[in-house]
Amino acid sequence: MARTLGVTDPTPAAGPPRSPPVAAGPPPSPPTAAGSLRSQWARLPREARDTLFQLAVIGWIILPHLTHLPWWCGALTTVVLFWRGYLAVINGALPGRWTVIGLLVIATGLTLWTERTLLGKGAGVTLLVVLMGLKTLELRGRRDALVVFFLGFFLVLTHCLYSQSLLTALGMGLSTWGLLTGQVLASMPVGRPTLRRAGTIAARSALLGLPLMVLLFMLFPRFGPLWGLPQDGLGHTGLSGSLRLGGVAEVANDDSVAFRVRFSGPPPRSDTLYFRGPVLSQFDGLEWRQRPHPVGMPRLPPELRLSGEGLPYELLLEPVRLPLLPLLEATPDLAGSAPQVKGWPLRLNEDLQWQTEQLVTDRLRVQAQAWTRFELGPQELLSGGYELTRLPSGTNPRSLAWARALRAEPRHANANARVLATALMQHIRSTGFSYTLAPGGYGRESIDEFWFDRKQGFCEHFAASFVVMMRAMGVPARIVTGYQGAERPDADGWMIVRQSHAHAWAEYWMPGTGWQRADPTAAVAPDRVNSGRSLAPRPGLMAGALTTMSPALAEQLRRTWELLDNRWNQWVMNYSRSRQFDLLESLGVSAPSWQDLAVTLISLLSAVALAGAGWAWWDRRRQDPWQRLHRHIREALRALGLDALPHHAPHTLAQQVRAGIGPAGDGLAEALEALDRHRYGPANRRLPGPAWWRGFEREANRLRRRGIGARQPG
Amino acid sequence: MIAERVRTYFENRLPRSDTWTLGQGNIYILPTRAGWAYAVTLMVMLLASINYQLNLGYGLTFLLCGAGLIAMQQTHGNLRRLTLRVKSPQPVFAGERALLEVVVSNPSKERNGIGVAVYRTGHKGIAWLDVPTQGSSSARLAFLPQQRGLHPLPTLMAESNFPLGLFRAWTVWRPAGQALVYPRPEQPAQALPAAQPVPGGAQVAQVRSGGEFDGVRAYRRGDPMRQVVWKKVAKSGEMVSRDTSSSASRELWLEYQQAALPDVEARLSRLAAWVLNAERVGAAFGLRLPGLQLDCGSGEPQRRAALEALALWQGP
Repeated sequence: MARTLGVTDPTPAAGPPRSPPVAAGPPPSPPTAAGSLRSQWARLPREARDTLFQLAVIGWIILPHLTHLPWWCGALTTVVLFWRGYLAVINGALPGRWTVIGLLVIATGLTLWTERTLLGKGAGVTLLVVLMGLKTLELRGRRDALVVFFLGFFLVLTHCLYSQSLLTALGMGLSTWGLLTGQVLASMPVGRPTLRRAGTIAARSALLGLPLMVLLFMLFPRFGPLWGLPQDGLGHTGLSGSLRLGGVAEVANDDSVAFRVRFSGPPPRSDTLYFRGPVLSQFDGLEWRQRPHPVGMPRLPPELRLSGEGLPYELLLEPVRLPLLPLLEATPDLAGSAPQVKGWPLRLNEDLQWQTEQLVTDRLRVQAQAWTRFELGPQELLSGGYELTRLPSGTNPRSLAWARALRAEPRHANANARVLATALMQHIRSTGFSYTLAPGGYGRESIDEFWFDRKQGFCEHFAASFVVMMRAMGVPARIVTGYQGAERPDADGWMIVRQSHAHAWAEYWMPGTGWQRADPTAAVAPDRVNSGRSLAPRPGLMAGALTTMSPALAEQLRRTWELLDNRWNQWVMNYSRSRQFDLLESLGVSAPSWQDLAVTLISLLSAVALAGAGWAWWDRRRQDPWQRLHRHIREALRALGLDALPHHAPHTLAQQVRAGIGPAGDGLAEALEALDRHRYGPANRRLPGPAWWRGFEREANRLRRRGIGARQPG
Repeated sequence: MIAERVRTYFENRLPRSDTWTLGQGNIYILPTRAGWAYAVTLMVMLLASINYQLNLGYGLTFLLCGAGLIAMQQTHGNLRRLTLRVKSPQPVFAGERALLEVVVSNPSKERNGIGVAVYRTGHKGIAWLDVPTQGSSSARLAFLPQQRGLHPLPTLMAESNFPLGLFRAWTVWRPAGQALVYPRPEQPAQALPAAQPVPGGAQVAQVRSGGEFDGVRAYRRGDPMRQVVWKKVAKSGEMVSRDTSSSASRELWLEYQQAALPDVEARLSRLAAWVLNAERVGAAFGLRLPGLQLDCGSGEPQRRAALEALALWQGP
């Protein structure tokens, strides 16, 4: 079919008259920008308006992705969307198939170039965004609109891969609404339904489906991943289980929440809040790794000596994607203090790590008890001690030489490990080391470079150097990664620990006491440890402006938001298999399994379906309300001896009443005439309210009681 | 082929009725292709949510699942309790489009996106309409009757995929009315046979093959418009009509035998063309078919009677 061109009217039909050139008065003011935009919008042909709306929805869906997509993808998509919008407004011809294919090939090439692959999350989302943009250039028929509809839902889903916060959820809700509205518009082919009307209809469908959604959400059994765990799902946040200089600095820039902790008593001092993550003992010169458990060796519990009172606490863990729980040091494996998570067997290993059998991909709620005063490890003989003093030969020669020289100093002739550690701390504190978030890249000899040349670094640099120096002096030492500190408690008592609280510290072993914690970062940046202040990332533009103008208000807003977000996390995002089982248990199922969940869900759904069938049965028998009312009227009139028939209109019945009953029936006849006006009058065609029927019935009953009926003929 | 037969079988089983009120019993509903694609999309989204352990993904998937199921209800409800009526079409000639007016009335809330069509005409033949609250809308559907005669109205279909297009609900209705179809007039039309003088009547005016009459008279109220001599009206400014009374003395008989064609239908076509022509020129004419004779008359009623006779004639 040939496209009609020039539907938009270039000359405004109702614009202000052009003033003649000789007129000396001020030129007529042009219509306000908003007004003219609105009138242009109203004049757009429906097809163009629907396309623009769809483009706006697509733009909104793609917008949050722009921050983590390659720049070219954002630029290409923006250009394509605006181009398509322009074509819609001028009603121009769409580009040919080959243009689109060419663009797709270029985009695929660029994806390969920037992402180095076409698989995986980054490349996948990039390609999806590109496809979505290019598909809009092919929006011809209904089928194309459907493709956009379905691609749109995939794109909305990909937002959860990056964040599942309340804000993301709200944005996704809006996107879904927009997509559904576009679909509603497509199924209203008549006239020009307003966007508001289509939006209302879409929202009604979604909101009516909400109970079903809640039911499914609560009872759909949660499984583990069905096949190979996607490595790049949410893996970019949190600790990684290995350390390479630079790695922790990346995490520290991430302001997202790692977990929340709440103490039943007053929270302990910030400098005792060490949440223990992976312990890294193996160093190959570049990277620190965890020591694998030697094959065949028995798995021993840690030797823990506790002193003081235990601190009961509760921890709400985000999916950290580590095979362990970062619990407060030291959480012992004692009855009443060991963490318990339903469905997650936990084991405390020799290095005081609470290990899980699989990666933590759920939000977990953990209750446990910790002792911040403790001694860890064997007092006499450290098994595998040689491993813990080993350094790769040939790397960082200057550091090794420096450490041996320090050890050989006469004042350290009989020094124990603690003295040596203190000496190292003293050195760090006094020789111009500084703490920075952006130390820059380090080369192969990173420890040498840090210790002698640059002297700028972050917790990992200090911890790694400290461990290397201790090892060089023959002291067993290792790096511990985890989180240190927490924010102030919110109204519910929850303290947030962010990814920016990620920390690395050191432990060295000393005969007689076991493992000792040493935090060399505290030597240069005591604030970091003592106040538990996380490293503040650069605030965004809005947040920055607000913070400058009113720091208190900014803080207040932030805290309120955090509180909301926390509730969201606890009630929605933290909803996991264990919570499902809790729910079933509270419903009286003992020892619930996922089969019980499935049975409950299926029976509830069946009940809903049965209720629906029952309603349908009832609805089938339901009469038109007008016919029902008419039937009641007929019955009432028949009781008075009148011959009312189904096809009689109310005014005919009124005539019958007047003729049959006479003046006594005036009230009844007037009521019927009122009904007739109501039903057939120009103003209102709807049924009268129940008050009318009550009046009519009263009148009819009055007549019947008085024995007034129609005069029997003959 | 078999599907076609099955469909015809079920179509013929449907009762014919004057009105068709839609309810549980006569609305069918199935997912559209888009609906299936939606289901597949939801499955993939569910898999992604399971594999990436995305609670928000579960939420989105289930939200869409709920919306889809509600949309099924709404699509069905969009047709439920509507009433279809049809106005019998004006008689038409075979091969001409007959227009059938379908009235959809709605006893409840506003309905959107109701499509009505002649059954099995494909997507192009659907007329879309919105039905206001407690009101009615109508659509005109065209169908092409190929043969003369009194035909039952074609089977109609009403459908809707509102609001999300995931399900298509439809109903099939065989309306009870009938459509009268005249024979297709012969093209090009043959000249009228010669008129015979009425025995005993004076020969006043002549019917020529061109159809011009000599006599005119002043316009009288009730004269059909086509009898007005517009050329003369334009010149003189006075209304004048052809004087057909003068032709009453001659009778034009259109006879089956005169239409000398081998095929019965072709003969009837020629007769139909003659009837049209004779009425146009205002001649009084009669019709003789084997077993049927229509006496002489003129004007619109005669034309209608003649065409009806031709349409319904059942053969010699």
